[in-house]
Amino acid sequence: MEGGGSRIWLIARKEIIANVRNFKTPVAFVAMTLLLLLSAHALAIDYRNRLNNWSVNRDGQRNPVVNDGVSYDLPDGGFSHRMAFGNPPPIESPRPFSAIVKGMDGEMDRAVVVRSQIVFWARHNETATGALFDAPDTSFVIKLLASLFAMMFSLDTMTREKEAGTLRAMLSQPFRRRELILSKSLAASISLLAPFAVAYFIEIIYLRLAHGLPSGREDMVRALLIFGLGALYGVVFIHIGIFISTITGRTKIAVTMALGAWATIVLMLPNVSVLMAKLLTPTPSYNQLSARLREARMRILQEEAEANPAARLPPSRPVSRQNTPRLYEIERQATDDYIASKNNQNRWARLLADLSPAGALTFGASDLAGTGVDAYNSYLELFRSSRDVMLDALKRSLDLPSHEGNKIMQEARGTVANRRRLTEPLGACLRSSIISFSSLLAWAAFFGLAACWRFERYDVR
Amino acid sequence: MFRTILSRELQETGVSSTLLFALVALTILVLPSAYIQARYYQSVVEDYAVRQSISQTEDNSRTIVLIRPITPLAPFFNGAYDSLPDEFRVWNDSATTNTPSGDLTPLDWLFPKIDLGFIIGVLLTLLTILLTHGAIAGDRDRGSLKFILAGPVQRRTVLAAKLTAVILPVTVILIYVVLLYTTVVMVFSGGTVDLSGSDLNALAALILVALTVLVATAALGVAVSASVRRSSVSLFVCASIWIVTILIWPSLGPYMASSFKPVSPPEAAQRDVVSKEKELIHEELAEHRKTAADLKERHVGVEFAWRRYLEIRRKWIERRNEEIGRMVEERRKQVRDQRGAARRISLLSPYAAFREVLGSLCGTGLESYDEFLAAVEQYRQREFIPKGFDMRSRQKPWLNAADPEDRLQLRPLQAPSPALSGRLSAAAWPLSILIAEMIVLIVSSALIFERCDVRV
Repeated sequence: MEGGGSRIWLIARKEIIANVRNFKTPVAFVAMTLLLLLSAHALAIDYRNRLNNWSVNRDGQRNPVVNDGVSYDLPDGGFSHRMAFGNPPPIESPRPFSAIVKGMDGEMDRAVVVRSQIVFWARHNETATGALFDAPDTSFVIKLLASLFAMMFSLDTMTREKEAGTLRAMLSQPFRRRELILSKSLAASISLLAPFAVAYFIEIIYLRLAHGLPSGREDMVRALLIFGLGALYGVVFIHIGIFISTITGRTKIAVTMALGAWATIVLMLPNVSVLMAKLLTPTPSYNQLSARLREARMRILQEEAEANPAARLPPSRPVSRQNTPRLYEIERQATDDYIASKNNQNRWARLLADLSPAGALTFGASDLAGTGVDAYNSYLELFRSSRDVMLDALKRSLDLPSHEGNKIMQEARGTVANRRRLTEPLGACLRSSIISFSSLLAWAAFFGLAACWRFERYDVR
Repeated sequence: MFRTILSRELQETGVSSTLLFALVALTILVLPSAYIQARYYQSVVEDYAVRQSISQTEDNSRTIVLIRPITPLAPFFNGAYDSLPDEFRVWNDSATTNTPSGDLTPLDWLFPKIDLGFIIGVLLTLLTILLTHGAIAGDRDRGSLKFILAGPVQRRTVLAAKLTAVILPVTVILIYVVLLYTTVVMVFSGGTVDLSGSDLNALAALILVALTVLVATAALGVAVSASVRRSSVSLFVCASIWIVTILIWPSLGPYMASSFKPVSPPEAAQRDVVSKEKELIHEELAEHRKTAADLKERHVGVEFAWRRYLEIRRKWIERRNEEIGRMVEERRKQVRDQRGAARRISLLSPYAAFREVLGSLCGTGLESYDEFLAAVEQYRQREFIPKGFDMRSRQKPWLNAADPEDRLQLRPLQAPSPALSGRLSAAAWPLSILIAEMIVLIVSSALIFERCDVRV
């Protein structure tokens, strides 16, 4: 085995040196460093802007509100003029790791009002940054570049030898064919991962020094895990490239096939998975929820009017005190159904997208960064539980005199205002991303074994 | 000779697995994408009706909700429609607007919905590169280029034949994709997508613009193919240029613009407006207090006091509109400047320019959005404020009996809907960039091929 190991390393070393000499490795290093730095800079500025936005909003919550009026009292009657102007509703703070993997964090840039209902305002996207294209975060750059360079390093490994006629000579040596595949895989992996690692850590160092991100040991572990996921993703494409190289005889055909495979795996499969999830788990829109809540309210008002026709109740009036708890329960149930359907769709999308390498990278990296599906679900859960606190207080205050009821509501508002969404713990993030890691490992193993199997049957004559 | 080379190239392309694979892959992708878009459009149209009915019952003389109508071409190109607020609460006494509700679409942040813009701009350009990268380098690989050029044929004729041999099948695929997409959208949108003559013309213009992008991409492929000796190197160079210009640059552009041309956070702008609003409200209340005391002292009748009150109210509404409106306009200008910078950076990519043109053609671009915002402001000034005031002046609040028939009667908001010529003129700048790119790339490929040394 020792002899086999040294032979593998010997071939791998030659390949690595060849990749450096023909500028493949330097080109990969320069391209990845440049794009990762550009991405880090752009996303760090974006994070800082969003953080400033949040801190201004938080400070604004403490400003006094205007709620004042004037009465015009005249001898033959009077009227009053009342003016109220409140503070903007609160928004959630952005996650620091969104500077590396933005994930679903941009979706949370919106004001949310929690009362008996949860009112989601429109997203803050005044400058329309990212309105038309993907966010160019680290995960996006890895998704495109690591896969493309992985194929560049691997797809001509066999075809080149076949075209030059050196494969026959190599296989006449006392080599096992799988040792050759292993050596090629090792060489391509080192040629890809070495520049990728250096470029990635230059990015992290830049973020640390210029923007103070990531900070702390846990953040560094997250950054390492994201690198690990990206490296595994690169290895998948190296094995895909080697597999294509074993099934084709000419580099030209291998390159065309590889680009087609790359477009299918990177651009199409994850999108098709998410489309499938949307088809399988249709969700109501927020407006449909609003319409449902309004219908429930109108129904109760109509029942009240029918029960007491002599009173000639006006159509726009608050629901009576007796029916208020019933309305609250209907609102609670409808909102919970809406949130559950969104969570369910997100889970399905992650499950289906995890079946493809690019989907697994996107969801896995966002899970590790704390900007993924679980973080989003806990964001919605925070509002759901805050709404429950408010509903509980509202119900209790119904039976109390107004000053006591106001006191209870004030306390509930204080409790809700002090609630903050915590960053998902590293352990939970890791658990969420296990499917992504497993999927990528399975893909790497599958294409590695397929390449070995195909090469074992290759007729060198 | 042109025909001979063209027919040989077409035969080669026709039997290649690339074309067949692309057709199958595109069909697989187009069907669910168009289906999702059709269903989504249907739900948005139904939502629009629901929202209209809700807002009409809740509108009053002080505030109304205006909703942006969806254009029938949105399922073909979503543009900025999904990403920006489409519902605005406007007030008669404040130039600020609220965006009171927005759907939760977290998955769109990870994988934006696929529309015709993505299919043409990303996938068909990639297919074009796959078909053109070997146009010259492939013949060099095989050694056939020397023989072709040894004949009595001009190089530009060879180049024209090779370009045409790529453009023809790509055009057929483009038309197939657009027809398939349109059919699925029409069939599954429950009759909500009603394309007028102008919309169909816009779709035809979309095909022509797409063709410009594809010809430019084909010219790029030929230029690279003529510059290198091996088709595999040509493909790698083409793919790298494609990834940077189509996938990476357009995404980076807006973020780079926000770093070069920063604007204050929206909440900071809002804070300044709120603080000014509060100041003006306090001043107005002070005047009301003074006037109320004065009128009480003079023992005037309530009707006279009400008229005086309305005069004061009108004066302060005008002042608030003027002062806050100035702040809002200043902010909008900063945002427009940043967007302009983002556009200038992004337009270097033909894909970004293509999407800009699509946005103008389909009415889902940022310019159409700005036009809608301007229409909202105009509606508020010319329709809502005067009619709200008329209604208020008819009321007699001291009688405590509102007339149930006295409701705010507003004519509906007319969202701007320009004709095709208007849409095209809005897209003039990105369209001229696309045409210029196409011409430069065709001329470059011709020049490179003229100077190409076939002996090496």
